Amino acid sequence: MMDDFFFSLLLAGISVGAVYALIALGLNLTFWTTKTMNFGQGSLMMLCAMLTVFLSSQGLAMALAVIGSLLVVAAFGVFIERWTVRPALQASGGSMGWVVSTLGFGIFLQGVAAKYFGSQAVAFPDVVFTAQDFVTVFGQYVSLQYLVVLAVAVALILALELFVRKTVWGQAVHAVSLDPELALVQGIPVRLLVLGSFMLSSALAGVAGVLIAQIGGTVDPAFGFDLVLLGFVAAVLGGMGSSMGALAGGLLVGILSKLVGGYVSTAAEHGIAFALLMLALALRPQGLFGRPEVSKA
Amino acid sequence: MAEPLLSIDNLRAGWGEAMVLDGISLTLAEGQALALLGRNGAGKTTLIAALMGVARHRAGVIRLGGTALERLPSERRAALGLGWVPQERNVFRSLTVEENLTAVARPGRWDLAAVYALFPRLRERRANLGGALSGGEQQMLALARALMLNPRLLLLDEPLEGLAPVIVEDLLAAIRRLVRDEGMAAIIVEQHAHQVLPIADHAVILDRGSIIHRGAAPALLAQPDLLSRHLGLQHH
Repeated sequence: MMDDFFFSLLLAGISVGAVYALIALGLNLTFWTTKTMNFGQGSLMMLCAMLTVFLSSQGLAMALAVIGSLLVVAAFGVFIERWTVRPALQASGGSMGWVVSTLGFGIFLQGVAAKYFGSQAVAFPDVVFTAQDFVTVFGQYVSLQYLVVLAVAVALILALELFVRKTVWGQAVHAVSLDPELALVQGIPVRLLVLGSFMLSSALAGVAGVLIAQIGGTVDPAFGFDLVLLGFVAAVLGGMGSSMGALAGGLLVGILSKLVGGYVSTAAEHGIAFALLMLALALRPQGLFGRPEVSKA
Repeated sequence: MAEPLLSIDNLRAGWGEAMVLDGISLTLAEGQALALLGRNGAGKTTLIAALMGVARHRAGVIRLGGTALERLPSERRAALGLGWVPQERNVFRSLTVEENLTAVARPGRWDLAAVYALFPRLRERRANLGGALSGGEQQMLALARALMLNPRLLLLDEPLEGLAPVIVEDLLAAIRRLVRDEGMAAIIVEQHAHQVLPIADHAVILDRGSIIHRGAAPALLAQPDLLSRHLGLQHH
C-alpha cells in the first residue's frame, strides 16, 4: 500500500507539472518563430483567470466566460508581438531587449489588474468539478479537478505536437525556426506565423491560468508571476523548443517541487526548481530532449 | 506587343548606404532564359537580391506579369512567382529533403513526383536531413524547392559554383531541360559564360552595376574576344 501522503503529493505534482508544461509550450511556440519568449505570460495567465471570474460573476455561463477570456488574452498576444517584441528585435545594438519589454508589459498588466480588480485574492469558480469531487484509484482518493487539469494539458500538448510534426504548417514553422530569411524568400508567410505563434502562446498561457486557478481555488494580480518562471525552468530542463521536453520538464518540476514542499518545507517548493535549473544548465545545457546546436557549416 | 514576363526599368539598388546597381533596365518574355554574366562584384547577385526584395531598393520599377514588385515584401514576391535559388545557405538543414519541399509547396504542375522525376537522387535521399546532403545534392534540393513554388520565373544564383564536374553535368542537364524543354523562364547568374550561354536565349553582361552588353546568347558565345574582354579569362 502506497503511502497516502506521498501519493497525494505525486498527484498534485503531476497536475501542476502538466500546467507548467503548458506554459513551457507557450514559451516554446514563440521561441520557434522568433527566438524570443514572452515573459509576460504570467500576467496573461492571471488576466485570463481574473476575466473568467469577472465574466462569470456578471452571469455569463462558465464555458462562455472561459472562451471569452481566452479570446481577449489571445488578442493581447497580437499586441505584445507588435509593441513589445518587434520593436525590441528591430532596435539596433542588443537584441535581448524583449526580455525586459515582455516582462515589463506583464508588470504593467499586473498593475492594471490590481487597480481594477483589487489586489486581494478572489475565489475562482468551479469550471467542471468542485474540489470535493473525486474518484478512487488503487484505494486512493483522486481529485477530479486534478484529472481534468492533467487531461486538458496533455491533450493540448499532443495536439500541438501532431500539428507541428504532421502538417505543412508545422513544417513551415520548423522552417522559420531554422532560417527565417530563407523561409521568407521561399514564400512562407513568416509574419503570419509569428503573429499566430504569439496568439496561440498567449491562449496557452490563458488555459494554464484557468487550470492552475482551478487547482489553487483563488487568483490575485501577482498570481502567475512565479509560474511563468517555473514554466521557463520546465522548458529549459526539457530542451528549449521540444514539446515532449516541455511535458517531461513540466512534470519533473511539478513533482519535485511538490515533494520538496511536502517533505521539507513549502517555502522551498519553488527554490528547488531553480536549483534544478542550475544543475541542468551545468550538466546538460541542451536539456533532456534538446539536441546540441547543429553547426552552421 | 504582349506584356513581358519581367520588366525592370531604371533599377537602382544596393546594400545599406552603398549603391551597387546604377540604373538597370531589361525585359524578359515568357519562356525565355537570360544569362546574367559579369566579373565578381559586378552586381549580379545584388540584382537578384533586389528582385527578391532582399537588397535595398532605391529607385526604379520591377514588374512581374504587370504587377509592380518593388514595394512588396519577399514572401509576396515568392508567392507571385519568383522562385529564387540562393547561392549559399539555401536548404533547411534540419528538415528532411521531403519536408524541405513540402514546407513551401504551392499548387501547380511541379509537385513531389515531378521534382523527383527531374532529380531521382532526391527521391533516394528523401528521408535524409538537408544538412546531411552533399553540396551538389543541396543545390539540387534548392532548385527542386524553388520549383515546388511553381514559379513563373526561376532565379538561379551561380547554381554550379564549387561543385564537382560530374554534378555540374547533372545539374546543367536539369536546368537545360527546364528552360529548353519545359519552357521555364529563368535568370541564370554565372561566372563561367561557356557553361550557361549554350542553354540561354539572351545574355546580359554587368560591370560595376551597369549593363555593358546585351544581346542574343548564341551571338555572344560566337564572340570569344568580347567575352574575354568583359569577363576575363574563361576556363574551357
